[in-house]
Amino acid sequence: MRLDRDLAQPSLALPGRREWPSRAFVSTPPVEPRIEPTPGGQAMRRRLPYSSQGLAILTILVVVLWSAAPAAAQGKPIRIGEINSYSGLATVYTFPYKEGLLMAAKEINDGGGVLGRPIEFIFRDDKLKPDEAVKAARELVGQEKVDFLAGCISSGVGLAISAYAKEAKTLYFATHCQTSRLTWDDGHKYVAHTTNNVNQYIRALAKKAATLPYKKWAHISPDYEYGHNVWDEFIAYLKQLKPDVQVMQENWPKLGETDHSPYITALLQSQADAFISAVWGAQEIAFVKQARPFGLFEKVKYVSASVGNPDELDPLGKEAPVGALTPGFAWYDEGMQKRHPKLAEWVKKYETRAKKEPTLGASWGYASAYIIAEAIKRAKSADTEKVIAALGEGYEMEFPWGKVIMRGCDMQAIPPQWTGVVKMNAQGKPVLGDIEEIHGKDVIKSCDEVAKLRAMAAEKKK
Amino acid sequence: MGVALAVAPLVLPSFFLQLLTEIAIIGLFATAFNLLMGFGGMVSFGHAAYFALGAYTAALLVKRAGVPLLAALAAAPLVAAAGALLFGFFIVRLSHTYFAMLSLAFAQIVFTVIFKWKALTGGDDGLLDVWPPTFLKSPAAYYYFTLVIVGLCILALHAIVDSPFGYALKAVRENPRRARYIGIDVRRHQLAAFVISGAFSGVAGSLFAFYNGSVFPDFAYFTKSFEPLVVALLGGVQSFFGPLAGAFGFKILEWLISRQWPVYWPLVLGGIVVVVIVVLPSGFVGLVGGRRWRRQPAVKA
Amino acid sequence: MSGLSVGMLLFLVSVGMSLIFGVTRIVNLAHGAFYMVGAYLMVTLVELLPDRPWAFWVALLLAPVGVAVLGGVVEVGLLRLIYRRDPLLQLILTFGLILVIGTLVLLVWGPDNKSVPRPDALAGSVKIFGQPFPSYYLLVLVLAPLVAVALWLLFYRTRWGMLVRAATVDREMLGALGVNVAALYTQVFVFGSWLAGFGGALAAPTVAVALGMDGDVLTTAFVVVVIGGLGSFAGSFIGALLVGLLQSFGILIFPAVSIVLLFALMAVVLIVRPWGLLGRPDA
Repeated sequence: MRLDRDLAQPSLALPGRREWPSRAFVSTPPVEPRIEPTPGGQAMRRRLPYSSQGLAILTILVVVLWSAAPAAAQGKPIRIGEINSYSGLATVYTFPYKEGLLMAAKEINDGGGVLGRPIEFIFRDDKLKPDEAVKAARELVGQEKVDFLAGCISSGVGLAISAYAKEAKTLYFATHCQTSRLTWDDGHKYVAHTTNNVNQYIRALAKKAATLPYKKWAHISPDYEYGHNVWDEFIAYLKQLKPDVQVMQENWPKLGETDHSPYITALLQSQADAFISAVWGAQEIAFVKQARPFGLFEKVKYVSASVGNPDELDPLGKEAPVGALTPGFAWYDEGMQKRHPKLAEWVKKYETRAKKEPTLGASWGYASAYIIAEAIKRAKSADTEKVIAALGEGYEMEFPWGKVIMRGCDMQAIPPQWTGVVKMNAQGKPVLGDIEEIHGKDVIKSCDEVAKLRAMAAEKKK
Repeated sequence: MGVALAVAPLVLPSFFLQLLTEIAIIGLFATAFNLLMGFGGMVSFGHAAYFALGAYTAALLVKRAGVPLLAALAAAPLVAAAGALLFGFFIVRLSHTYFAMLSLAFAQIVFTVIFKWKALTGGDDGLLDVWPPTFLKSPAAYYYFTLVIVGLCILALHAIVDSPFGYALKAVRENPRRARYIGIDVRRHQLAAFVISGAFSGVAGSLFAFYNGSVFPDFAYFTKSFEPLVVALLGGVQSFFGPLAGAFGFKILEWLISRQWPVYWPLVLGGIVVVVIVVLPSGFVGLVGGRRWRRQPAVKA
Repeated sequence: MSGLSVGMLLFLVSVGMSLIFGVTRIVNLAHGAFYMVGAYLMVTLVELLPDRPWAFWVALLLAPVGVAVLGGVVEVGLLRLIYRRDPLLQLILTFGLILVIGTLVLLVWGPDNKSVPRPDALAGSVKIFGQPFPSYYLLVLVLAPLVAVALWLLFYRTRWGMLVRAATVDREMLGALGVNVAALYTQVFVFGSWLAGFGGALAAPTVAVALGMDGDVLTTAFVVVVIGGLGSFAGSFIGALLVGLLQSFGILIFPAVSIVLLFALMAVVLIVRPWGLLGRPDA
């Protein structure tokens, strides 16, 4: 039999082999004790399986037809390619964000658009993967010929898109992700940040925390970039404001940890009188639920970077950590609405549209659309370099929740910052109360500090 | 086919060139994977590890050590092969389910090391600004470049499959016991196949690093390991060019569906996997050991 | 101590996976998805039922049934078609199921995080050795071993259990002896799914019910069954305890490597003794 003859020769000695069979592949039928090529098998072997052939032909047809169709009209609308996570577990944040974004876009267009042109968002899903985001960015810029890029929720994705935008010389507005590196360490002229960055809101939180009588601090933060970012910013600023602060303990659970009991026990034994948690989302819900029976929150003051968000507070319900200090967008708060008279109306409009209450992300989406539109308006053109120049000059905008400054030196947005305390309202639902408001501009790093940061980062890269 | 690929840049807009580049890369990855699965009868769930090793090696060499691109691309498969040798030594001693599970375990370990070793790999921030030198940066240029490299690799893989080594591998897949009786060192063949597969996966990874412009730890995550698997399944593991066709179809499908209904893409992907497996011709059974009529030991002694 | 409770919850999930593998030789990767569905069903049931003390227990009883039904549908509708195929293909198919079920959960329940509040009676803590210990974990520490004992009785003292054990050793022979092996497969799969759903429903008040919870539990359960031995009931128990305790203490002793510890252990077991601590070295 052919096969045996071939196998009888030493098989790993590839060079010098002259008797290589010409068939690409031997297809063997199952169950026969003798291994023989199937009759007619020879003819089939070279070709691809029919199913894949058909599939290949079909897709070629689709591609040809698709590219033959005129690329979406370039004429009137200003097109913005928006890349975000619209599948999987990030949707709890991105769905409300998208509602806010589209609500603003509609308002802008109803009001005559930008420079007489409507703005249009084209959405792509990044599947929470930076390489998918880059691929989507390529498609949007290369194929759809968008004027600008926008979006991100994961910081890794934001940084990846930013790196691509720099290469492609397309202006990118990072909208939902928070890392300060976007406009600072890894900043460049093709990236602007239309929302909060970690530096601002953590410093605002630290500023409030410094007014509390706690000197011995511990923390629990997920062991990845964001977690480290939050803790570093918080403790640095806290120590700046209150030099006698002591760090009693550090806890670094892995991102997505499900059982925090060992950390809870550790915190109880740490002799800290307060701790900050950078744990967020579903992980924080689990943490709070697990910590409550231990009485952790009664013994150690709980400061959290995110528990005030409705995606965490609402599911916690009666298990919410009453008394915790946290940032949050408490649009329902009486004090807030008195300070910002237009807020209630905005909320109602959002609720009519989205059939749900707004989240902080929704406000960011809303603001982002307006900020982008304003930059184009000020540039009097959708030309990238002109818009960058307009952004470089900086400007301010009023929103239903306060003033947002788009700073020129780093193209970073500076919104108002709120801190509140978790309370139960009359209906037994957890909400934020005792809202205190400061403005990001009072705490954010100055332009000089940013320039130093950028220089340091550039040095490291060399 | 070849002519079409060569003139594509003149006809297609740049995005499609990039898509084709990506298809070529994934096609290489899947073909390398299929060396193991279709021809070797060993299914690995941890191939992302070698892909990532290749990607990170190339990226680090170019970014940190200033090594020229071609040298980095040459080094990447060596590192990936080393990893494959190290892990494969243990993995090939097992078979089937246990083989798959150990490969998965090692891949997760690689992922964790990349994730935690921030100083070297940048951790979950990844390595950014990993671009090819200027003359290769344009989509058309990188497309040709990728095509050439992938083409050479495919030729090499084809030669390997078509060689006595390849036939010995297939014999091992069909009936390891019998192969051993004829005098083939089963384990050595399997390990060699594993290392070769890992090396070419590393090439794919390194090409991808420069295509993407950045590398991240999730290149090593187990979900990435399923990509070549699904692609190869879709295209047909029975043939050498199946995975390439599968790469083509898969990427186009992904692009079309993700842009319209992103929420549904995982559903579609899962559905594809389910459907392909259910309707796969029973020929595949014959390829992977004839389980219907003979029980193979699940674990090699 | 809480490591024990976590281990117990893990046991409930793992034993189902181990059982399914033992009989059908399929590693059911969708097991984590079943766990997730169990938790989500718990959320819905608790919301639908009136706010009474018994509501929680009724929900705990019903949620796993829903998952069992899902398991039955999957088995009869899909897995039966591919039993003759290579087990690895079946494994890959269950991976496809993860994606399908995950998206379906998103479509049905929406993207928001959810939570099941602990029943009032168990919301607090008790003092054990002077340390507060959450009462709900006591429930787990009581229920899970009860389930374990019940399972043991089921497998070792009933005829059905005997058939199941025989199937894990030699299913062809069992078929040759006239037992309807196909029906047995379905029953085992449904029962395994029920266990996963029960694990999910019981665990729901201790974690957040959110998309992605299937991934976490799957990887850990996977490690448990590998370490304990695929197909071994006692192995799952010991493996789960080991992993639960290791996770709790690993965090304290080796914080830097605790993530990789589990996988390293799994790798070691696979290298040294692939069929696990208490498994059987057969096909």
